Amino acid sequence: MALSDTKPADRFMLWVDAVGGYWVCLADELIVGQPGDCGGADIPILADISSRHARIRRDGEGYLIDAFREVRVGGRPVDPTELLTDGSRIEIGPSVKLQMRRAHPLSLTARLDFLSRHRTQPPADAVLLLADSCVLGPRPQSHIVCRDWTREVILFRHDEKFYCHAAGYFEIDGVVCKIRGQLQANSRVIGEGFSFSLEPVERKSVVD
Amino acid sequence: MFSQGIAVQERLGDTGDHAMPLGEKSSPRGGGLFQYASGTRPLGGYVIKRGVGSGGFGEVYYAISDAGKEVALKLIRRNLDTELRGMRQCLNLKHPNLLSLHDIRQDDSGDTWVVMEYMSGECLETELADHPQGLPLQDALVWFHGIAAGVAYLHDHGIVHRDLKPGNIFCDEGVVKVGDYGLSKFISCSRRSGHTESIGTIHYMAPEVAHGRYGKELDIYALGAILYELLTGHVPFDGESVGEVLMKHLTAQPDVSKIAEPYRSVVARALEKDPARRFATVGEMATAVGGGEQRAGGGEQRAGGATEQRFGERGTESIDGQDGRATGGHNDSDAYTDQEPIALFVALQLQKLRQRWQQSSLHPGAKRLIVAVCILLFLVTAEIVLPLTMLALIAYGGYRMIRFVYRLCFCPIPIASPTVAAFPVTVVKASRVSVSSEASIPAFVIKPLVRVTDLIGSLLVAAAVTAAMCVVMLLILGYRGVSLQIEQCAWLYLVSLAGAWFVLITAKFWEGSRGERMVRHFILMTIGLGLGLVAFGMAEVLLVRLPIDHDLANRAAAHWVPPVFYQDSRPMAMAYMAAFATLLGVLRWWQDADPLRSTRLSLWSLLVTVVFAYIIATAWQFPKPWLMMVAGCMSVSVQLSSPWVPTYARLRPQRKTTV
Repeated sequence: MALSDTKPADRFMLWVDAVGGYWVCLADELIVGQPGDCGGADIPILADISSRHARIRRDGEGYLIDAFREVRVGGRPVDPTELLTDGSRIEIGPSVKLQMRRAHPLSLTARLDFLSRHRTQPPADAVLLLADSCVLGPRPQSHIVCRDWTREVILFRHDEKFYCHAAGYFEIDGVVCKIRGQLQANSRVIGEGFSFSLEPVERKSVVD
Repeated sequence: MFSQGIAVQERLGDTGDHAMPLGEKSSPRGGGLFQYASGTRPLGGYVIKRGVGSGGFGEVYYAISDAGKEVALKLIRRNLDTELRGMRQCLNLKHPNLLSLHDIRQDDSGDTWVVMEYMSGECLETELADHPQGLPLQDALVWFHGIAAGVAYLHDHGIVHRDLKPGNIFCDEGVVKVGDYGLSKFISCSRRSGHTESIGTIHYMAPEVAHGRYGKELDIYALGAILYELLTGHVPFDGESVGEVLMKHLTAQPDVSKIAEPYRSVVARALEKDPARRFATVGEMATAVGGGEQRAGGGEQRAGGATEQRFGERGTESIDGQDGRATGGHNDSDAYTDQEPIALFVALQLQKLRQRWQQSSLHPGAKRLIVAVCILLFLVTAEIVLPLTMLALIAYGGYRMIRFVYRLCFCPIPIASPTVAAFPVTVVKASRVSVSSEASIPAFVIKPLVRVTDLIGSLLVAAAVTAAMCVVMLLILGYRGVSLQIEQCAWLYLVSLAGAWFVLITAKFWEGSRGERMVRHFILMTIGLGLGLVAFGMAEVLLVRLPIDHDLANRAAAHWVPPVFYQDSRPMAMAYMAAFATLLGVLRWWQDADPLRSTRLSLWSLLVTVVFAYIIATAWQFPKPWLMMVAGCMSVSVQLSSPWVPTYARLRPQRKTTV
């Protein structure tokens, strides 16, 4: 991924200082599977699962999961498709447990928390399925809860471009912005009391 | 919640944080302000990914080595040789409950970095923020024993941690780990010189630090403070300013009354001001805390057991349900050996419910709506619910009575312990009253003459208070459309006053001594017989006819109460004596007159008294409102007229004796 790219990759790591690291996926269809050289898993989980184990897709106003292998939602086997809602507990293979969170009722963006001890590869604290926008802030309704922040920061997509929105002034890659600024693939944002960075994740070989 | 990693946050700004809802924590400094951005490589071989936390000593980063190993990098701004030597001593310590240090390295600009294990799990501080009322006992014990095992290992190797605090303690994959041990000397030294670094940890700082003493006892004190916070959800000493908290560490006694035994005495001993009076070793303290099978020796085993249930599955509230709770219940029964299982079960369920309510991410408006609906439902169904509740309570009271008698006969030893309770209400009272520890009692053993004048003062005040209470009763009755005749008022006043005086005089004799409880109940019951006679006599002299619910009296008196009790549905001397003897004999009236009770006027105590009066009146078919009114008047006037020593004043005499 070249530095000059203006459009963030369809998946990247969001490193929020003092909060955590998040695996952000923008695509509407995501393959869940084992990380591997040949695999095209969008959500690579280091676990005893297949390289293409399931697919999570955004459909209209909600999320669906398609099982290619053993998948359960809320304890019931999925065959072949099941609806995912806020709080859905997804079991992938024998031991991976995820929980779907749609913290903000008006946003289609969702978060997948790990309930089991598994993590993505490279490691992240949670997976963010970013639809249109994502809220980082102190309130529990935020997609990424940043307890110590004093304000909300919103990341959003518009016309294939990626923006950061926050009250007041903040800096993107050293350039001062007011209210809104466009993000690059590996931007660093610093504001009063908060800072975070984007890091593109390279695909080793895309097999789609 | 999200994993916090090694977050070392300042704790000064969080004076009231624990009371705030989740996620609304405010901090003097936000998440930003890290020197190194994501993607930079200040130290060869590691790429920084994000900042984790910052404190007075420097910053902590999450980084990945070139090969892909996750580590935490701690940047030490000042590096004096002596401190570095202290840290190097710790490099090769190995213990499952200690965060492992990988290396200490210097970068090109001469800054020192500590390379250490990265914890993706939660830090105890976050966990405590999620549980404003304290952790469930089972979890608290897991945390405590993990910390204790790590600290014991450090002590065993001649190292004093000196900076134990929830921000330094983590749980990853079900194993509790203590961090920051190598740096602690460094931090402590700067703290002594009055730098701002100290403010992060003052809540766990032992008083002798003021004299420059840094022994193992320091860690014991901090462990006591942490155990206190684990069980109650807040630190033992809190205040608006650093100075206030420090002053409390030096002088104030922690309020341990909310903690159940045996933890209460463990915390109290660990938080002793005099280091020599604390536990000598961490091991001794851990043994005293008990729950032996969950000692850190079994740390590995726990990691796969209940802890996994709890900690391994992050981010859900719904999970700490059946399994964890089942073992928790087992353990609780160890903790409150003298508590009754049904009450315990109900208490646990309530606690669980409260926690879920507090942690649920519902909109505040939705919560208010739910509460409103609940109240509405209650109001609508009160007609049915209230009598049913009353019935259940009576049945439960009977059960407690039988249980109490059974325990009295077959297990005599626990009776001596102050927490044994005959009735659910007295559990509360017992824990309250134990604030008046023996230590402070001698201060209140007063000369006989002073006692007499005290008593006379109380009796006069009681006369006034009872009069006021009678007026209040009249107003309440007037509001309900019942008006009393003048002789009924006089009867109410005189009987209440006589009752209050009897209690006050008796309690004066018992003041400042522990005494056998059952004996006191018996004496009060005898006095109650006398009071009954007085009440009957007054009724005869004043020609008072207490209005009775005729239906009930006729129906029930026929087959339940002996016929000598009532004539023409009018209560006779026997009925008076029975009712008043029960009223005085059942409740612990002397606690209402105890100068060391927790509050001057306890509404809870008043409520309990009135409810019991209702039950007693029902049992003896005595005219209900009258007994309840007398009991209420008595309770209030006894509490208001007997002397009371405010909590802050209780320390004063004690300090005098130690000086």
